[in-house]
Amino acid sequence: MRIGLIAMSGVRVRTPELAALGVTLPQFVNRGQVIASLPSLGLLTVAALTPPDVEVVYREIQEVRPDEPPEPFDLIGISSFTAQIDEAYALADRYRAAGIPVVLGGLHVSLVPDEAARHADSIVLYGAEGAWPRLVDDFRHGRLQPRYLGLRAGVFEAPHYVRPRFDLLRGRPYNRLTVQTSRGCPLDCEFCAASLRITSAFQQKPVSLVVEEIRAAREVTDHPFFEFADDNTFLNKKWGKEFLRAIAPLGLNWFTETDISVADDDELLDLLAASGCRQILIGLESPAGDDLAGVDPHDWKRKRSSRYLEAIERIQSRGVTVNGCFVLGLDNHTPDIFGRVKEFVERARLLEVQLTVMTPFPGTPLYDRLAREGRLLWPRYWDRCTLFDVNYRPRGMTVEQLEEGLRWLFRETYNEREYARRQRHYMEIVKQRL
Amino acid sequence: MNDREVEQRLRAVLGEMSHQDLTHTDPDADLVRELGLDSLGALRLLAVVEKRFGVRFPDDRLAAFRTLRQMRNFIAHSKQEAVR
Repeated sequence: MRIGLIAMSGVRVRTPELAALGVTLPQFVNRGQVIASLPSLGLLTVAALTPPDVEVVYREIQEVRPDEPPEPFDLIGISSFTAQIDEAYALADRYRAAGIPVVLGGLHVSLVPDEAARHADSIVLYGAEGAWPRLVDDFRHGRLQPRYLGLRAGVFEAPHYVRPRFDLLRGRPYNRLTVQTSRGCPLDCEFCAASLRITSAFQQKPVSLVVEEIRAAREVTDHPFFEFADDNTFLNKKWGKEFLRAIAPLGLNWFTETDISVADDDELLDLLAASGCRQILIGLESPAGDDLAGVDPHDWKRKRSSRYLEAIERIQSRGVTVNGCFVLGLDNHTPDIFGRVKEFVERARLLEVQLTVMTPFPGTPLYDRLAREGRLLWPRYWDRCTLFDVNYRPRGMTVEQLEEGLRWLFRETYNEREYARRQRHYMEIVKQRL
Repeated sequence: MNDREVEQRLRAVLGEMSHQDLTHTDPDADLVRELGLDSLGALRLLAVVEKRFGVRFPDDRLAAFRTLRQMRNFIAHSKQEAVR
């Protein structure tokens, strides 16, 4: 039996003015290219869950030629995020028309299963762990079911845990690889459409397993840059220190996402720097506390925001850059937010900035609320779930003000002069630490 | 220091920083690609060179220094300027 696994990848913007602006701005382009160049860790995990007597072929969507007949597979698995789901559906329809059964999985499929089911012979909800081995066995015996429920907890425990098949990437030009250390995040921000939506509780992988995965990944790629593909890597500080001590001798360069509380612990910060952490992305969301009321159920980010500047300074002084992530168009934002973010970025001397627009991904509490309030601009807009296109009516400004403000802030933040200023600031920190 | 000495020292400094042997690296090889560096890694490399050689690369042309030869020429030029 031969199974093809196809990863949908790439980042795009639908709004023409922003798309045109984006390609001229260095930092915006850089991050987009990085994200597009990452392999699908989910599908490498699915491959590892496949029985060893089954041949598995990993393909990026760019390798699938639309003008040629579909490759001869017995079964196809496709994973996609929301923004590319229509392309995934079209691909699935094409394979099914050629008589090849298709399984769809991933976050969007878990959140909008009935829609996905119309384009697939079977769908997998939540984690592939606990579902995919059964699915393959059923397929082999001619009894494929239309829907399989994967695990929402215990995915890193025997007998469900598997090490992703990094060997499938051998000979491919990846210089960045992803490894997952956890799934979920208890902050539960209203807009978040990440792995917390497919888990029932925060799950942490044992340090020894993470280290084994890193070693396996390094066997297939020379000097890869690692991205820990978590929602919040250092939620558990005790685990974090154990992890950092374990990876420090490996000589890695790496990036991850976490929350601002990482700055509370000097020992953790020193370990971050010593272990090769080059950047952490932190969802600051907005510069002032009042903006953040209601973003998460515990108002955790609102309470933390008064110490953002001090925390960023503490982290960056270790030579670890902070990629400050802002969400524009929160309910408490008015048109002055764009200037306030610009001022904050300058005061904080953030070394990298990610500007996004609030996006009601289907299946999130934000989507449900905005739908109830009649504020969604279209009944279905999945290809516009790019984090840069506006899909709802903001509360404190018009759609046009949000779009224009975003473009203004892009120009102010991502231009060559600001990019050079941030680069120089980073180099001076590095020199001070030599 | 003559050009040759500058280049030898560059190889030693960057090799130490990257934990790789650059003794036989082509002077025109793209170091960012050769050493598998990301964009921050490339900046760290330049920062190390600035500190060790007492030079300052122009902020608006940082991306132009990616090979041993480019760095060596800039360092040699900066030293000459300093002497004048």
